[in-house]
Amino acid sequence: MNDYSCATQCTWCDGCGDYGIWTAMKRALVELGHAPHQVCLCFDVGCHGNGSDKLQGYRFHGLHGRVIPFASGAKLAHHTMPVIAFGGDGASFSEGIGHFVHGIRSNYPITFVLHNNCNYGLTLGQASSLTWQDQPMNSSPNGIPEHTLNSMDLVFALEPTFVARGFSGNIPQLTEIFKTAIQHQKHGFAFVDVLQACPTYNHFATHQYLLERCYDANVEGHDPHCEAQKARALALDTAKRIATGILYQREDVPSFYDRLIPRKDKKTTLVEEVKKVDVVEFMKEFI
Amino acid sequence: MQRVSLKIVGAQGQGVNSVGEICAKGLKRAGYCVFGYREYMSLIKGGHSSYQLDVSHEKIESSETLVNILVTFNHHGLEKNVHDVKNGGIIIHQTPQWSFPADVQKTLAKKKITVLELPTDDILKKLKAKPILGNVLITSVVWSLLGRSADGLKELVREQFGHKGEELVQMNFGAIDAGFTFTAASAKGLSVGLPNPDPQWKNQMLLTGSVAMGLGLIHGGCRFYAGYPMTPSSPLLTFIADQQNRTGMVVKQAEDEITAAQMMSGAMFMGTRAATGTSGGGFDLMTETLSLNGIIENPSVFVLAQRPGPATGLPTWTAQGDLLLAIGSAHGEFARCVLSVSDAQDCFDLMPEAFNLAEEFQTPVIVMTDKHTAEALFTQQQYDQSKSAIRRGNLVTDPKQLKKLKAGDRYDPTANDGISARWLPGSDAVTYCAQGDEHDPAGNVNETAQNATAQMKKRMKKMDALKKALPEPELFGSQTPDTLIIGWGSNKGVILDAIKALTPGPSPKGRGGIGYLHYTYLWPMKTEKLEKLMKKTKRTILVECNHHGQLGMVIKMESGIDIKEKILKYDGRPFFYDELHSLLAV
Repeated sequence: MNDYSCATQCTWCDGCGDYGIWTAMKRALVELGHAPHQVCLCFDVGCHGNGSDKLQGYRFHGLHGRVIPFASGAKLAHHTMPVIAFGGDGASFSEGIGHFVHGIRSNYPITFVLHNNCNYGLTLGQASSLTWQDQPMNSSPNGIPEHTLNSMDLVFALEPTFVARGFSGNIPQLTEIFKTAIQHQKHGFAFVDVLQACPTYNHFATHQYLLERCYDANVEGHDPHCEAQKARALALDTAKRIATGILYQREDVPSFYDRLIPRKDKKTTLVEEVKKVDVVEFMKEFI
Repeated sequence: MQRVSLKIVGAQGQGVNSVGEICAKGLKRAGYCVFGYREYMSLIKGGHSSYQLDVSHEKIESSETLVNILVTFNHHGLEKNVHDVKNGGIIIHQTPQWSFPADVQKTLAKKKITVLELPTDDILKKLKAKPILGNVLITSVVWSLLGRSADGLKELVREQFGHKGEELVQMNFGAIDAGFTFTAASAKGLSVGLPNPDPQWKNQMLLTGSVAMGLGLIHGGCRFYAGYPMTPSSPLLTFIADQQNRTGMVVKQAEDEITAAQMMSGAMFMGTRAATGTSGGGFDLMTETLSLNGIIENPSVFVLAQRPGPATGLPTWTAQGDLLLAIGSAHGEFARCVLSVSDAQDCFDLMPEAFNLAEEFQTPVIVMTDKHTAEALFTQQQYDQSKSAIRRGNLVTDPKQLKKLKAGDRYDPTANDGISARWLPGSDAVTYCAQGDEHDPAGNVNETAQNATAQMKKRMKKMDALKKALPEPELFGSQTPDTLIIGWGSNKGVILDAIKALTPGPSPKGRGGIGYLHYTYLWPMKTEKLEKLMKKTKRTILVECNHHGQLGMVIKMESGIDIKEKILKYDGRPFFYDELHSLLAV
C-alpha cells in the first residue's frame, strides 16, 4: 500500500464515501500485484476527481463527463496495461451519458468505477439524474420534476459483460469486486456501481441507509454467470434490500479490441508501433 | 499557359464521377497535368453535380469558370450549364429532341459553340448493352474529341473492368468503338486541341487532398484515428478506414466529435500517434478537449476541414472561414500550433510534421484543410519519403534516464523553453498526473497564485520557442515583387496559376513582378519576412475565401500591418483561374 501513498492530503468531507473507494482501489491494485507505474488511472471531474493526486500511478484528470472515451482511447493504444476510469453519477448520467452508453455497448476493455452518491457534490449539492424525487436540492428547492433515472435498468439494456455493485462502507468486499473488475478487462467493459454516502448533500441515501440495506448477493448464492434477466431483476430490486457483489459477468463476448480485424495476431501495442511507414505500395495505386 | 477544360454534369449517382475519373486517369497517363474539381449538393441521389477537369502540359492547380467541352447527362445541365462553355466550345448531351430557347440559340451561334446530341439509348440498344455502358460511350466521345486514340481508352477500361470477365470488357470496347464512330460521323473535323503532352506527368499520381493527407498520416506513424462523419473531413476517415487491414491502424467512428477528440487524446497520452478530423461544427464540439490538451501538455493532432458556416451552412462547398476559430477557440490561454495544407504535396508532408510539432512542443496542433483541397484531384509526383523523420522531442525512454526522473520533472516550470520531460504511462519510473486542474510540477492540484503564474509562464514559453522553430511563409513568383499577394490554404494553386500567366516568360532578374507569400504556418504567426517584403512592394493584396479577411486580421494583430486591398470570396466556391486572373490584372 505504501507504494501507492502520496504526500498530498485528502480534501474530502468527513464521512465521504470516496475514502472507502480510494482505499479499496489501492488495496485491489496491490493485491493484484500491479506497481503504480503499471497502471493508468483516469478521473472525471467531481469530488472523486479530487483524488487524482492522492495516490500514485500514471494518472489523468480530465473534463467533466468525458473520462470514458479518454480512458478507452488510452486502453486501445496500450491494450496490455490495466486502465481504470472513475466518474460520478452527475458526469456519467448527464453530461457524459452518451459516452457511458457507448462505452458499455462497445465493450471497451476498461474498468469503470461509478462514484454514486446521487448528487453533484463538488458544485454544492445539485440534483443529478439519480437523485430521488421529492428531495430539495441546491437549484431544485422543490425537488426534481423529472423522473429519477433507473441506472441499472439502463446498464442492462446495453448488454454489458460485467456489472457489479459495491458499497463504500464495505472495503474488504469492494476490494474483491475491484480485483475481479480489473481482471475482467481482458473480456471487456467492467462496470462497478459503488453506492457511497455524501454526508454533506445527500440526506436520503445516507451511509446508515446503505449500511442497513446492502447485502452480499454472492455470499447468498447469486451466480454472476446467470441469465442477464435474472441479474437485471436482482439489480433492480432495491425496495427492501440492495444486492451488492458481482451481479453479472460473461467472458464469452470479445472485447472491442479483440474484435478489431486489423489487430488480429498483432503482438505489439499501438504505442510500440510508432515509426516511419513506407507508403510506396500505397502510392502505386494512384498512378 | 495553354489549358483545356471539360466539365461533366448530371444528377448525382448518374455516373458523373466515373466519367470524370476515367478521363482524368487517361489524360494523365497520356502526359498531361490534370486538376479535378467537383461540385455537388448535400444529398445522395438526384441533385445537380459536376466534375470538371482542367488539363495542361504544364503544372495546373486551378479550374476555369468556362470550359471547352461540356458533357451533360440530363436536360438540367443543358439549362443550367449552357453558359459555362467557351467560344468555339462543344456541348455533348443525350436528351432527345432538345431545343434551346431562341435567345440561347443566338448566343450559342455567336459563340460558335457546337451542340452534339449523342443518341445513347439507340446506340446501346444496338449493342445490346446495359445503360451503365452509357458512361463509357460518353467518355469515348470526349476522348475522340480530344484527339486521343481508342486504344488508350481501351487499355484503361481493361484495367478497370478486366477482373469482371472478358465479356464485359468486350461490351465496353464495343461502346468505345461506337463513340469513335459517332464522332467521326457527326463531328467531322471538330476537335479540341490539347497542347503537346509532357512525359513527366505519366508516372505521377492522381489523388485527392484527403487521400494525400491519409498517406501522410500513415507515413508519419499514426496508429489510431477517430472521427465522426462530416463533410469535408469524411473522405479522410473513409480512406484511413479502408486501409486499416493493411496498416493495422485502429480506426474508430466515434459516437460524436467529443468522443473522437477524447479518444485521440487518450491514445496520445499513452504515447502512440493518433489524430482526429472534423469540420467546423464538429470542431466546435472538440474545443473543450483542445483546451484540456493545452493544460495537460498532451501532444494532439486535430484536422479541421473547412466548409462554409455558420451552422450547417453549405455542407458540400468550400471556405476559409475557420482560421480565427482554429487560433482562438477553446477556453483559457495555452500554446497551440495552427498550420494549413494547400495541395497534395503538403497534405502529405504536413501530417508527419504535425505529429512532430505536437510531440516536440507537447501541445495541440491543428491542421487546416477545406473542401476544395480535400476533394480536388491533384496530379502529384510520388512522394520523396527520405525527407521526413520522426521527431519525438523530450520523450524519455531510456531505462536509466527514466529511473532518474522525479515526478516534478513532468511539468517543471524551469525547463528550457518550457518544454519539460515527458514519459509514457507504463514506463518504469516515478508516476505523475496529467492534471486538468492547474497543477504543480508533478501534476498535483495547486491553486496558489505563485504556482498558477509559474505554470502559465512555462506553457506560454513554448509558444515563443515554437514561433522560433516554425518556418517563415514561403515566397513564390518574383522574389523582389512590386505586387505582393498574401494568402493561405487552397488558394495557393489558383494564385500560382494566375500569377504565372500575369508574369509571362522567365521571372525578371531585376525588381518587379508579382510575388505570392503563402502562409503554411499560421499560429504562432511569423511576420518578419512579410514586414521586410512590404517595405519594398508598391501593392499588397490579401486573397482569402472568407468575409472578414481573417488572415489579414491575424497579420494586423501580430504586426500592426493593415492590408487594405482585399480580394475576398465567400459563396462556397473556390477562386477560379480566369476570375482571379482578371481581378489581379486590374
